[in-house]
Amino acid sequence: MSPLLMAALATLAIPAGMTLLFGVVPMLRRTGKPAAILSILAATTVLGIAGWLFATWLGNPTESLQIATYWLTMGGQPLGQVGVHLDGISVSMLLVVATVAWCVQLFSLGYLSDEPPNGLGRYFTYQSLFLFSMNLLVLAPDLMQLFIGWELVGATSYLLIGFWYPKPAAAKAAIKAFVVTKFADSGLILGLMVLAVASGGFAWDAPITPATAEIVAGLLFVAVMGKSAQFPLHIWLPDAMQGPTPVSALLHAATMVAAGVYLIVRADPIFSAAVHVREFMTYLGAFTALFAAIIATVQTDIKKVLAYSTCSQLGYMISGLGAGSLLGGYFHLTTHAFFKALLFLAAGAVIHAVHSNEFTDMGGLFKKLKFVAIAFIFGSLSLAGVPGLAGFYSKDLILEAVHESGNHFALFALLLTAGLTAFYMTRTVVKTFLGQMSHSAEHAHGPGPSMTLPLLVLLVPTIALGWAAGPFATLFGKPYEFHMGLVGYTAIALGLGGIALGYLVYGLGALAFLPRLFKPVATLANSSVMDELWQSVYEIGGQTPSRAAAWTDRYIVDGLMNFIGWLTIVLGQQLRKLQTGDVQDYLYAVFGAAALLALFGGWR
Amino acid sequence: MTAILLIASALFCAGVFGLLTQKHAIGVMIAIEVMINAANLIFVGLGQHKGAAVGQSFALFTIAIAVAEVVVGLAIVLLLYRSRGDVQVDEAREMRQ
Amino acid sequence: MNMAMFLQDPGLWLIGLVTVAFAMLAVTVKDLVHAVLWLGMALLGTAALFAKFDASFLAAIQVLLYVGGVVVLLIFGVMLTRNHEHLAAFRQTRRPVRAAVVAVALFVALVHAILNTPGLNDAPAGKSVSLQDLGLALLGPYAFAFEVLSLLLLAAMVGAVVLARKRDPGQPSAKKLIRHRNLGRQVVEGLAATDEVGQ
Repeated sequence: MSPLLMAALATLAIPAGMTLLFGVVPMLRRTGKPAAILSILAATTVLGIAGWLFATWLGNPTESLQIATYWLTMGGQPLGQVGVHLDGISVSMLLVVATVAWCVQLFSLGYLSDEPPNGLGRYFTYQSLFLFSMNLLVLAPDLMQLFIGWELVGATSYLLIGFWYPKPAAAKAAIKAFVVTKFADSGLILGLMVLAVASGGFAWDAPITPATAEIVAGLLFVAVMGKSAQFPLHIWLPDAMQGPTPVSALLHAATMVAAGVYLIVRADPIFSAAVHVREFMTYLGAFTALFAAIIATVQTDIKKVLAYSTCSQLGYMISGLGAGSLLGGYFHLTTHAFFKALLFLAAGAVIHAVHSNEFTDMGGLFKKLKFVAIAFIFGSLSLAGVPGLAGFYSKDLILEAVHESGNHFALFALLLTAGLTAFYMTRTVVKTFLGQMSHSAEHAHGPGPSMTLPLLVLLVPTIALGWAAGPFATLFGKPYEFHMGLVGYTAIALGLGGIALGYLVYGLGALAFLPRLFKPVATLANSSVMDELWQSVYEIGGQTPSRAAAWTDRYIVDGLMNFIGWLTIVLGQQLRKLQTGDVQDYLYAVFGAAALLALFGGWR
Repeated sequence: MTAILLIASALFCAGVFGLLTQKHAIGVMIAIEVMINAANLIFVGLGQHKGAAVGQSFALFTIAIAVAEVVVGLAIVLLLYRSRGDVQVDEAREMRQ
Repeated sequence: MNMAMFLQDPGLWLIGLVTVAFAMLAVTVKDLVHAVLWLGMALLGTAALFAKFDASFLAAIQVLLYVGGVVVLLIFGVMLTRNHEHLAAFRQTRRPVRAAVVAVALFVALVHAILNTPGLNDAPAGKSVSLQDLGLALLGPYAFAFEVLSLLLLAAMVGAVVLARKRDPGQPSAKKLIRHRNLGRQVVEGLAATDEVGQ
């Protein structure tokens, strides 16, 4: 076995071992900080391995290694594989996951310093479990293992959103996220079934007809919509912000929600055959991007802004993938993972400092949290697509691809989103770091080194990853040539315009009518319209058949049973009357029957 | 031979009538004896008609069994009389409960 | 039944009808002692029929065992069980009409069956069974049944003695038996009660 594969297996074994260790030895878990440090060391090892693998693949981008064993034998033919598959895509994703996970774990050590040791140990147990699950997903040799990892990260997401489970809102949000994504995952299961029936396996490049590919891709996309928070299944993501902020950074911004995008990239042979599903993806992604960006402009909770922004950016990726730009979607996933993790962690540092998520408790924090502010601003600029920063390059790839696909609606929506993104991020920066200092902001304290270091690490790819787009593209085996077209310039103009407008409105207080214009949007966005919609969908679609079934069970099935029981009792009581206990009554029956037999039996 | 069967049938039905109407236990036993006699009549009559010894043999067995039945039956009647004070068969229906 | 049949063997019919009449009296007369005596008459009639069939041994046995044994036993039974209020054991009958209907229906059915069965009026075999044949049959092919029968008689005798003898003070009394009966009734009632709970 090649050492590369051995190392890849270690990225699974180490976090899994940590989880088991913490799970089986509660003494260790309850020590809190030592457990946390152990978990971080494990994550560091994983990061080192991932870095080594990535470096190897940069030198030899087209190599593909796999070790897997077959299982799920059905009719003598093995269906699924379990193992690791290494190629340019999985290795780069592994590095993204490992980097962000390492940063987040390190950051959590500072962020959760007030947590009791028991809770801290529990948190890092979940973190290790997440790292294992995500690696399992990323390194999957086929869709079946990806599905297992997919469900495991879903479970970890549930556990981490509900980390502060005594808080009712957190418990509710955890359940909501779980239920919504599980609902969507039914699509993945069905898709896997169809794929297994059609091709006899779960391979990425299973030989299937275009019609079957449409069905499979459509079903898989339902799961993607749930996991990657696409409209109308995005409802769980804003609520998921009830979890600790580092969790939001890792699971609900950088890696787990991107698993849907990763699935599409991996299963590209299936999706590229499914033309109609891809077209739908382009539309839906663009719509989600615009829709979430509009909502993000009116949020007053810094995490909610970032959550809707994540939704919006995932829409970007989906739209790009739908338009056929595998590289664009995947590259944006990567850059987004870094800058959104950076934004979340910086926001976490702010929240940690002021003990609140609300803008009203912030403001003017630039003086207090200089480094955090700089990190956040760079992240925002990258997200807003300012030329030179990572986000600009990846976003440009998607816009070009959508432009080439000729989908004008999607292109328009995405360009508008680009402007809006710049606008709402400027608003966030202004409300958080500039302007009047609030009461709680005056007592803000700076982050410790365990919180600054991750920000510093993430700042590097946030700024510089775009310049590495060329080598990155080679991992895909695709040429990359940077060129600026009309679309690119438009996007730059819109981005800069958005920043200027945002600063004008929120920084200088000009154009005061604009925020008032957003009022109805805010009301609508903060109301529970979407939840109620789903509620009624559930009631109509889910409860009506259930009620019918319950009625059938209660009155038809049970009724039949009760009727039979009643009949037996009544007949028994009637029959009992026949038993008089009088011998002569029985004799009447004997002789009467004998007479009848003699009269009618046998003689004709 | 038809005559024997018809007479035996008449005898048997007289027994049936008695069996169904008697309230007294000994009356019931009388009726049973009449019925057994009807059966014996057929055994003997048909045996003789066919010239087979089996008819009389079984008639003999039946008579012996009937005697045994009367003996045991009377013992039961006596027991019934002692425990209940009367021997009306329609009153003895505890089995019903 | 027609005249020809009757004339074929008037003696048989005569004795037969008389026997049936005795039997009817035996099951209908009010006085039980009379009933037993009428039964004796009917048994004698049967014996006469046996004699008419040329089965004189059976006829003798019938007279000895039935008339001499069973009838006497039954009279003992009547004497021992009659109510103290009545000197003679008057008996009551119940549902005579219903019983008559069933009895007559059974008779009609039997007559119907007999008249419709072919081959009943074949010629007699011609040879009658002698006492010697009977003895050979009883100790030949039916020897086992014969021996078992003796055991049955012994068992009946022992059983009758055990059932009918008076209890010693140490033995379970009739009262105790009644209590046992009540115990059984309680159990059954208890079961019925749980049944009702079950409903």
